[in-house]
Amino acid sequence: MDKLKQLLKETLEKITRIKDTGALQDLEVKIIGRKGELTNVLRMLKDMPEEERKTFGQEANKTKQALQEAFDEKRASLSSSMMKSALSNIDFDITEPGIREQTGHIHPLAKVQWEVENIFSQMGFAIMDGPEVESEYYNFEGLNIPAHHPARDMQDTFFIDKEPDKKQGRLVLRTHTSPVQVRTMEKYGAPLRVIVPGRVFRYEATDASHDTTFDQVEGLLIDKDISLAHLKGVMEEFLTRLFQREAKVRFRPGYFPFVEPGLELDFSCALCGGGGCKVCKKSGWIEFMGAGMVHENVLKAGGVDPKKYQGWAFGFGLTRLVMMRYAIDDIRLLKSADPRFLKQF
Amino acid sequence: MKISLNWLKDYVKIPPKYSAEDIGRLLTLHTAEVEEVMEQGKGLEGVVVGKIITLKKHPDADKLKIAMTDIGAKELVQIVCGGSNLEEGMIVPVALPGAYVRWHGEGDLMQLEVTKIRGEKSHGMICAGEEIGLPPCEEGEITKLHTSAKPGTQLTEALQLDDTIIEIDNKSLTHRPDLWGHYGIAREVAALTGTKLEKITSKVDAKKSHKSGKSLEIEIKNPDLCPRYIGVRISGIKVEESPEWLKRKLLAAGHAVYNNIVDITNFISSELGQPMHAFDSRFIDGGVVVRTAKRGEKMTTLDNKERLLTDKMLLICDHKKPVALAGVMGGQNSEIKEDTTEIIFEAANFDAPCVRKTSVALGLRTESVQRFEKSLDPALAETAMLRAIELTLKLCPSAKLESEIIDIDNSKPKNLTVKTTANRVCSKIGTQIAEKEIIRILESLEFEVKKTGEELSVKVPSFRSTKDVEGEDDIIEEVARIFGYGNIPSVLPLLPAKLPGENRERFLKHKARDIISLGLGFTELSNYSFYSADDIAKTGLETKDHIKLLNYLSQDQTHLRVSMLPNMLKGLREAIKYDKAPRLYEIGHTYREIGNFMPLEEKWIIGLTVGKNSFFEAKGSAEAFLEKFGAENVRITPSKNTEPYAHPAKCTEVAARGQQIGSIYEVHPEVITKYELAGSVSVFEINFTKLVSIGQRQHKYVQIPKFPSMEFDISVVLQEKVPAASVQDSIERSSKDLIESVELFDIYRGQGLGEKEKALAYHVIMRAKDRTLNDEEMAQVQKKVFQNLEKLGGKIRGK
Repeated sequence: MDKLKQLLKETLEKITRIKDTGALQDLEVKIIGRKGELTNVLRMLKDMPEEERKTFGQEANKTKQALQEAFDEKRASLSSSMMKSALSNIDFDITEPGIREQTGHIHPLAKVQWEVENIFSQMGFAIMDGPEVESEYYNFEGLNIPAHHPARDMQDTFFIDKEPDKKQGRLVLRTHTSPVQVRTMEKYGAPLRVIVPGRVFRYEATDASHDTTFDQVEGLLIDKDISLAHLKGVMEEFLTRLFQREAKVRFRPGYFPFVEPGLELDFSCALCGGGGCKVCKKSGWIEFMGAGMVHENVLKAGGVDPKKYQGWAFGFGLTRLVMMRYAIDDIRLLKSADPRFLKQF
Repeated sequence: MKISLNWLKDYVKIPPKYSAEDIGRLLTLHTAEVEEVMEQGKGLEGVVVGKIITLKKHPDADKLKIAMTDIGAKELVQIVCGGSNLEEGMIVPVALPGAYVRWHGEGDLMQLEVTKIRGEKSHGMICAGEEIGLPPCEEGEITKLHTSAKPGTQLTEALQLDDTIIEIDNKSLTHRPDLWGHYGIAREVAALTGTKLEKITSKVDAKKSHKSGKSLEIEIKNPDLCPRYIGVRISGIKVEESPEWLKRKLLAAGHAVYNNIVDITNFISSELGQPMHAFDSRFIDGGVVVRTAKRGEKMTTLDNKERLLTDKMLLICDHKKPVALAGVMGGQNSEIKEDTTEIIFEAANFDAPCVRKTSVALGLRTESVQRFEKSLDPALAETAMLRAIELTLKLCPSAKLESEIIDIDNSKPKNLTVKTTANRVCSKIGTQIAEKEIIRILESLEFEVKKTGEELSVKVPSFRSTKDVEGEDDIIEEVARIFGYGNIPSVLPLLPAKLPGENRERFLKHKARDIISLGLGFTELSNYSFYSADDIAKTGLETKDHIKLLNYLSQDQTHLRVSMLPNMLKGLREAIKYDKAPRLYEIGHTYREIGNFMPLEEKWIIGLTVGKNSFFEAKGSAEAFLEKFGAENVRITPSKNTEPYAHPAKCTEVAARGQQIGSIYEVHPEVITKYELAGSVSVFEINFTKLVSIGQRQHKYVQIPKFPSMEFDISVVLQEKVPAASVQDSIERSSKDLIESVELFDIYRGQGLGEKEKALAYHVIMRAKDRTLNDEEMAQVQKKVFQNLEKLGGKIRGK
């Protein structure tokens, strides 16, 4: 019996000292292998008296079991620490660049347009389209800008080389998205809640802040009781969501023949929060768009009864908004194919 | 338009609590946009009156002179100057070292120092007006001062520059004929500050002005174009310099000064907004005739230019010749001269569109045009005439009215009354404003309000009723702006229970962008909608399909695109400088002449790939795009009609649900060369308008197979001319039931094969829906496949 205890004790001590799996294996064979020390002890059982054999046998089996467990445990611990040291001992440079699938780029104009459409959609505005080549009727007359009205000076127009139509006048490249106001009213009547993002054209020499081609967003809300207070509400909500910071709007008198009262709308500078900085020219306000209550003549042109319905319209420069958002200082970049520009988006 | 604050104060007592800045802000928020509020003397520190004593040539520069100048110091100072009008004895503004100037009136302010110019010392600078914020000089000249102030006097003191100038953006006055003079602005300021507006009265009594000599005959042939014409003949005129107060007012308002008579007409224009004209009556034969020009008639205007006239233009003539272009500019033949002694004053009202059309046709825009084109109040002509006569008699004590004041008035006063209610006003503004307040506001702007029950009858003053105020909404605007837009609350409108429909096309356009940019790795461009006749020629497009601009800015942008290709190729040329293998795309409109008034406008997607495999990259991208987009039943087949810009052998049609929606092609090598590109460039073009109209497939999940598949590979050698599509088809046909998929995984050409041969390798997967296949079934299908391929002339490899 003592011999067994002795063996157990000595072996367990040896196991703790062992540092590699090979030595552990050797020891295991030596002690509990087929010709191992403990196995030899067990073989001696058959020569023992009945009584002794029973207790000794039980003890010997327990010892064997304990040793087996100790060997297994040591083996697991040795292999896990070996794995650990093997894995941590390799040269692997995690600062090398990741392997990326080539992705392309969405044009900044399209990105911001999508944002604008999303915000207005959430406020219940439908998104409308209209032709970019328009008739003078929809671009001007229908919007209460008769021929030879001084306001036509404000919008230098591209004309198409084509015989004019008796009713519609000449063909032009639309100078604003406003023609879609009358088109939409004609098609859907009132009430109406729409925005119209789209490309517009001006016959204007190109420089860093002017281009012949740019994008606008028109808005139109017509119902029975729509007021200027709603214009303030909608635009503050829109700008706040767009800039992700509380925006205030300010109205100033402005003149556009298709609205009355006519307004210029400024918003509190998103950069300085209204305190005054270089971007807002120290005024705290950024000029943003023209707006106003839709002129009676425009409602009539769209077949909407001005005695029953009233509402407002606005138009802002999407291109300008994009330039503001990304601090782009030259409008011509938006029409370039330069990857050094486009790949930034 | 420049407004002098001092001048405004002649008509309105501005309460002291309002600074000039405050007035500017009030006008911006309630009336019209103020661009700048500027103290006159600001920035003129260190600019003094100087007198040029001697003048000699610069030894080392042809155009420069050396002016020994008295600046009130003990000794004369030497200043180098290039002014072409320099002369000895001239009084000039001198910016001393330390003062700030703006070179040639442009750029940033610069501080002067004592410098040497071409070796000669220069103690400061003799200035042109624009360099120090005074009225500009003729090109190359410097400002000649008319002051008795001693040399060395600060310029602000010498010129009494103690005024503040409020500069108003003309565009924001487009609709306000009443605001084109100081008096109109004063009316607004009075309403905004709650103060009284002084009435402009004239001591001249029109009726009593007696006839002392020659009469004045006036005939109006086109009363529709000239609703009112007031004329008077005044003799005993002595043309001389205007008094200081008048010059100061005019200079402050940005006018040049000429002589007392011309200055009076400019004063009236700037005070009341009514342009006037003065003729030297020596050059007026007989009387005044107002008529339209004869076609081809000519006259020389005050600016010394001969003008070719049309029968749409209105003239002021005498009995022989035109003497002025009505409402636009006077004629040179009758202008006021130093020796003029008798004048004819004109204060008239002209048809706004006529003045405007004439101005546009002749490219001649004047202050007079600016005012007349806004539709002036005919009543204003009378006030202006009386005011002008009063001033003339005051400035020329010897002047006498030679004729009666002749007033031919065909104007029809509108006497416009607009009805509204406080409720209507509040409903549009969106806040409650008391009726009493509404009435107060309107009355402060000289509207007369009568109240009957709920209804307000608002009589519009004549100076507002020519065009600006027509109906109820205009009245509401008056209330809203004076009440203050800042006092309108911010309210979100209620959402209607029924929401508007979705714009599917817009939604899908953004989806297309996500697929093509983020999925397929293309970069989006935004090209112009135009290109040139040269582009049409290079790509072989048809000119007749295009619409052309009548007015264009450059020869590069004359036609509207019917194809997205030319601008993409130009984009590629730019992109390829920085990126060897760009993949580019655009979604945009095309505009095609189809014989209707309106062109056919469609939205297209064009994608572009470059390099050896460009065609198959374009094809693969189109296939992937259409699949992800959800197009149904897509077929890509060889083109029946090849476009001239496409490679004749590498060109396909793309159809979905049986409709052609686009094409995939390699760009014709000649086109590539013409665009100064090289290598292979391919394109997929999809008519997005059509693609959306066709609709998207119903996407249903396909059950994951329950039974195992059997697979085999097969390699077959074929003649080049046998298309891969037929090979694919013939394999699939071998067992429609059991062949699940056929994938072409390798194409081999070269060693071991004939010159016109290729080896295609396919991976075939077989499966039955209801059982596990056995070897015999597979062998049978394989056999059938071999037979079919051999029918195509194929040699099965390894068989």
